Amino acid sequence: MKIVVTLLLLFWSSLFFSQLVVAQDVFQVLRDNDVGYAEVKRGVPLIFPQDHFPHPDYRIEWWYMTANLKDQQGQDWGLQWTLFRQSLSPDANLEGWDSDQIWMAHAAVTTPDKHFFAQRFSRGGIDQAGVNQLTGSNGFDAWIDDWRWQSASDTLFPSTLEFNVGEHKVSFELKTQDNWVLNGDDGFSQKSAQGQASYYYSQPNITLKGTIKTQGKTTRLSGNAWLDREWSSQALAQNQKGWDWFSLHLNDGSKLMVYQLRHDAENKLEDDFRSKEGLSTNEFTAESWISGSWIDTTGEVTHLGKDDIKLRSISARQIKTKKSRLITLPLDWSINLPTLNRSLTIKPLYDQQWLATSFPYWEGVVLVTDDMNQSVGNGYMELTGYQLAN
Amino acid sequence: MKQAILKALLSHYWRHPWQALFLLLGLTAGVGLWSAVQIINHHAEVSYAQADSLLGVQANYWIRNRSEQGIAQADYIELRRAGFRQIFPVIEGQVITPDGQLISIIATDLLALRQSMPEETVDQTFNGIDNWLQLVQKPYRAWVPQQLADEFALIQGDQLQLRDGRQLPPALIQAQTQQGRRIFMDISAAFTLFDTDQFNYITVGQLTTEQFDLLTSLLPDSLALVQNQQQLDLSELTQSLHTHLSAMSLLSFAVGLFIVFNAVRFSLWHRRETLMNLRLMGVSVKALISAILFETLIWSLIGTVSGVICGLTIGNWLLPGLSQSLFNLYGATIDAVIALQSETLLLAWGITLVGLLWALAWPMYLQLKHDVLDANSPTLRHQAENSSRQQLALFSLPLLIMAFILFQTMETAVAGFALLGLLLFAAAWLLPTLLALGLKFAQACVPKQRLIGRWMVSDGWSQMPAFRSAMMALLLAMTANLGVGTLVDSFRSAFIGWLEVRQNADIYVNSSQSNIVQLLESEQAPGKTSLWLADSHRQIGITTRWQDQPTLVNGADTRAPDSLRFPLAQWLGDTPDDALALWRDNSNYILANEQLHYLGGLKLGQTIQLDTDQGPVDYQVVGFFYDYGNPKFQFYLSYEEVAKRWKYHYSRGTALWLKPDSTSNGPSSRQQAEKSFLANGINRADWISQDEIRTLSVNIFERTFAITAAMNSLTLIVAAIALLASLLAIMQERLPEFAQWRALGVNTREQFLIICSPLLIFVVIAWLLAIPLGAVLSWLLIQKLNIVSFGWSMPMLWKMAPAWQLGGLVLVIVIVTLLLSLLQLRRRLPDALAELGELS
Repeated sequence: MKIVVTLLLLFWSSLFFSQLVVAQDVFQVLRDNDVGYAEVKRGVPLIFPQDHFPHPDYRIEWWYMTANLKDQQGQDWGLQWTLFRQSLSPDANLEGWDSDQIWMAHAAVTTPDKHFFAQRFSRGGIDQAGVNQLTGSNGFDAWIDDWRWQSASDTLFPSTLEFNVGEHKVSFELKTQDNWVLNGDDGFSQKSAQGQASYYYSQPNITLKGTIKTQGKTTRLSGNAWLDREWSSQALAQNQKGWDWFSLHLNDGSKLMVYQLRHDAENKLEDDFRSKEGLSTNEFTAESWISGSWIDTTGEVTHLGKDDIKLRSISARQIKTKKSRLITLPLDWSINLPTLNRSLTIKPLYDQQWLATSFPYWEGVVLVTDDMNQSVGNGYMELTGYQLAN
Repeated sequence: MKQAILKALLSHYWRHPWQALFLLLGLTAGVGLWSAVQIINHHAEVSYAQADSLLGVQANYWIRNRSEQGIAQADYIELRRAGFRQIFPVIEGQVITPDGQLISIIATDLLALRQSMPEETVDQTFNGIDNWLQLVQKPYRAWVPQQLADEFALIQGDQLQLRDGRQLPPALIQAQTQQGRRIFMDISAAFTLFDTDQFNYITVGQLTTEQFDLLTSLLPDSLALVQNQQQLDLSELTQSLHTHLSAMSLLSFAVGLFIVFNAVRFSLWHRRETLMNLRLMGVSVKALISAILFETLIWSLIGTVSGVICGLTIGNWLLPGLSQSLFNLYGATIDAVIALQSETLLLAWGITLVGLLWALAWPMYLQLKHDVLDANSPTLRHQAENSSRQQLALFSLPLLIMAFILFQTMETAVAGFALLGLLLFAAAWLLPTLLALGLKFAQACVPKQRLIGRWMVSDGWSQMPAFRSAMMALLLAMTANLGVGTLVDSFRSAFIGWLEVRQNADIYVNSSQSNIVQLLESEQAPGKTSLWLADSHRQIGITTRWQDQPTLVNGADTRAPDSLRFPLAQWLGDTPDDALALWRDNSNYILANEQLHYLGGLKLGQTIQLDTDQGPVDYQVVGFFYDYGNPKFQFYLSYEEVAKRWKYHYSRGTALWLKPDSTSNGPSSRQQAEKSFLANGINRADWISQDEIRTLSVNIFERTFAITAAMNSLTLIVAAIALLASLLAIMQERLPEFAQWRALGVNTREQFLIICSPLLIFVVIAWLLAIPLGAVLSWLLIQKLNIVSFGWSMPMLWKMAPAWQLGGLVLVIVIVTLLLSLLQLRRRLPDALAELGELS
């Protein structure tokens, strides 16, 4: 086991990008030892606007935007725009071509019938990508190549988001009046019993409107966006295989964020047990690390712990990934919030919303129904760390 | 029945495995050398076709600074931020190892490159690199192709030491597409290595019309978007070199066929009886012919497979030298890994079959046509030998006439090589007649009472048929050796003489920055006497296309020491100085390189038009200068003229002449110069001394001709094999005869003399013929082919020493093969004697 861990550590950064071995485990970077990097500590207050900007002392960080949109015919669309930063060494070197900061971005467009995605990489220090104060103002500028999220204000909103995914040219204006939601314990978001944690805050109530232009055709869209900001030096424990994460906009105006970090050993045990019992091995109800936030219509935040959330996968299906390889994913879920007396069923708008990027994962638009099978909202779901079928 | 005939025919090879071996050896050697070059040529073509890609990413355009001054990082980033992701910044440069070897470096942003690569290429390229992010992180990695790593004895992680004491990043030994002999690295490492903060150029992939317009509008005035024509230019520029190689490979193939011919002759000799018996048994000629054709087919298949395998090996062995030549001459990069094309295999089979039909099937058919019983008569055989000799001599006449006609009209390298081929084959076919004449002459010279002497000479008639083709092969190999050797020697001498004139400054500074200008201005300021600087020459230039070929227009200081001694090959006026004076005093005159004359068709005194910023300007050509080693067109105008006509000219370096060292013990001029350089921010990598640049140039020259030398030696080896094969055949063939001699009381020494003397006579005749033929060959190569192919003219330098050396070498080969065959004879003679006893 020791050898395996050592090898994994040795290979971590190759796994980071190598598309050949992604199927194995690209998420190792999130589990890597945080020696030398800044540590995430409980009780450290988040400070704005400072914390909107990069934290190069920490190994990884992201600016994660998802949006559920409707066109004029009422059809569901979705957007994803994410900027990742990684420090390759604990002594961050920020300037010039020698910089050890690596930027990566993912973007996706979910149209009513098809999902498109793109990824970008850039080294830091050369202005090809970064998150900075907007030149000559107090504003905010996050970009990689020609993908850009910009705000004249250091509160990040109102702002504009412009990027393209293949032929889709995306241009949106984003607004919010709401306060930031500090997840976990005032922004300290614990990820495992061993102490892995991140700083995590969100803005779940962003309204946006804009256009997606494809081959001369312009579609006007509007809806709700959700921004997650998170940084850490070791977000996953060694035995955490991946996670299932949900950000939901409910029709009554309340918002729900839920995630579970699946424990490798537990999953395996349960798989063994289930296969013995002749049950589907893809139904994960393991004793994972579960956490969430409930934001009611007034903006009041309730932290949800393990006992407050019953997360269960209802059914798993196969979808195609890169090179037509198949993967089985738990695509339908039920979320029960006993303390809040809510029961929700989550289903994807359609199954094929896989991002075959260097870090491959499922991320896409989901529709939310209640016990009566009535539509109660929509949102985004993210499923990571599942094994590709051979 | 057919099977039985075939079995009967082929059984010969079981009884005489040596013959099968030599047949195979001849085929393998011939096909091997031919296919080696074929594979290499094809491989090079494929590489040229990929010349517009970098690590599998297309480079359809380049963004270059109009003044070749490099591109600012900010300009690149701006284009990226405008959404151009198909662009990659490149730094190219060269470093020098402590032993004076030049190594080319190419660097780009590997992180940006990787994400734009097609998926398959990513997998191929980064496969096996356990942690590819280390490529873009300190201390970075230098991707060294295996072959270069072997040359410098580098293992994974080693850092190559440079002449100026610096080190390259740790080596990652792995070759990439289009890498050739270059070392790849991340651009960040190259910034440090070349101490620069600018890119040399930016490669641009495919652009839509919209993108093209947008990109052009975004570029600052100083930058230009240029179409990448490298693929086209390379194919055209390198054509001659590949023709040269093909010609040499065909020669090797021919020499290989001589071995086959020889083996066939022997196998025929042994199969006379079989053939005769088969005919007597009532087998039809038709059935025998199909059996012979089948045998030919089998041999062609075996020969092709073994030849191509051998060719791949030779190809891999020759490739490093060739890729170096191509890179030095044309800047072309060739992949390190050779792949075999099915066309090459088919073509190899085709020529093997044709060659075999000529060398194996045809003589066998002739044998068949003879009367069944007569075919075995010694008298008839002697007559047949005489008539075939005469036939060959007769055949050589039309070849000579064709060669003469071709000589009059020759305009391309292909025609030139056809001429050489005709001439060589005419000479080869005349050789048997010459050998016969030689024997007759020797016969006449030997006094009648010297019985052994007469026997020695007249035994030559028995040896003649066996040695005929081996001697032809030897003649071809010796001629090629002498001819090509003279070409290389003449070229070397002309090149070195030219270097002495062209590169006679003490130091060359490559710095294109303003530091050198400032330094010169301060050293040459009015009223100041420099302690070290005697004279300087700063050149500028522009790159343009003339007759759609890449062309350089240089601006030179017409009064600089090297300009005053410009080595002209042709000039207007009485002396070169007259022409140079015209060029110096009048900006309407231009100097052109010989390539423009020979390849571009430019005439002395002709007026040419060059596109300048102010529109087309006319210049009159006053002289053609020698420009060895340069495949491109080049003009020289005055510095002022180029500066005036082209706004975006670039620096072509500065030559400096130092003052002679004073007798006192102070620092030498060189030391003072170097101190001033460093003080003015000119790096050690930016200047090179005369000695260094000459060593480097000569190194490049030697390496360029290394492949020629290798091909030459290989051809000679093939000829040596032919000789050994013939000797062994003779020994085998005449074993009963030798046994009889022994029985008659002839001792070993006498026997040795009898066998050796005619052979020595033959070899001396072949050698004597090879000398004038070699001279003609080298004259044609130098005065005709070189000019037609490269546009370089040079005086032919004929020396007898190489001919003597070659003679000595051939003698050694003859002695070694003789000893080998005599050993064989000694081993087998007792058996033959016993056989003789049984027979009698």
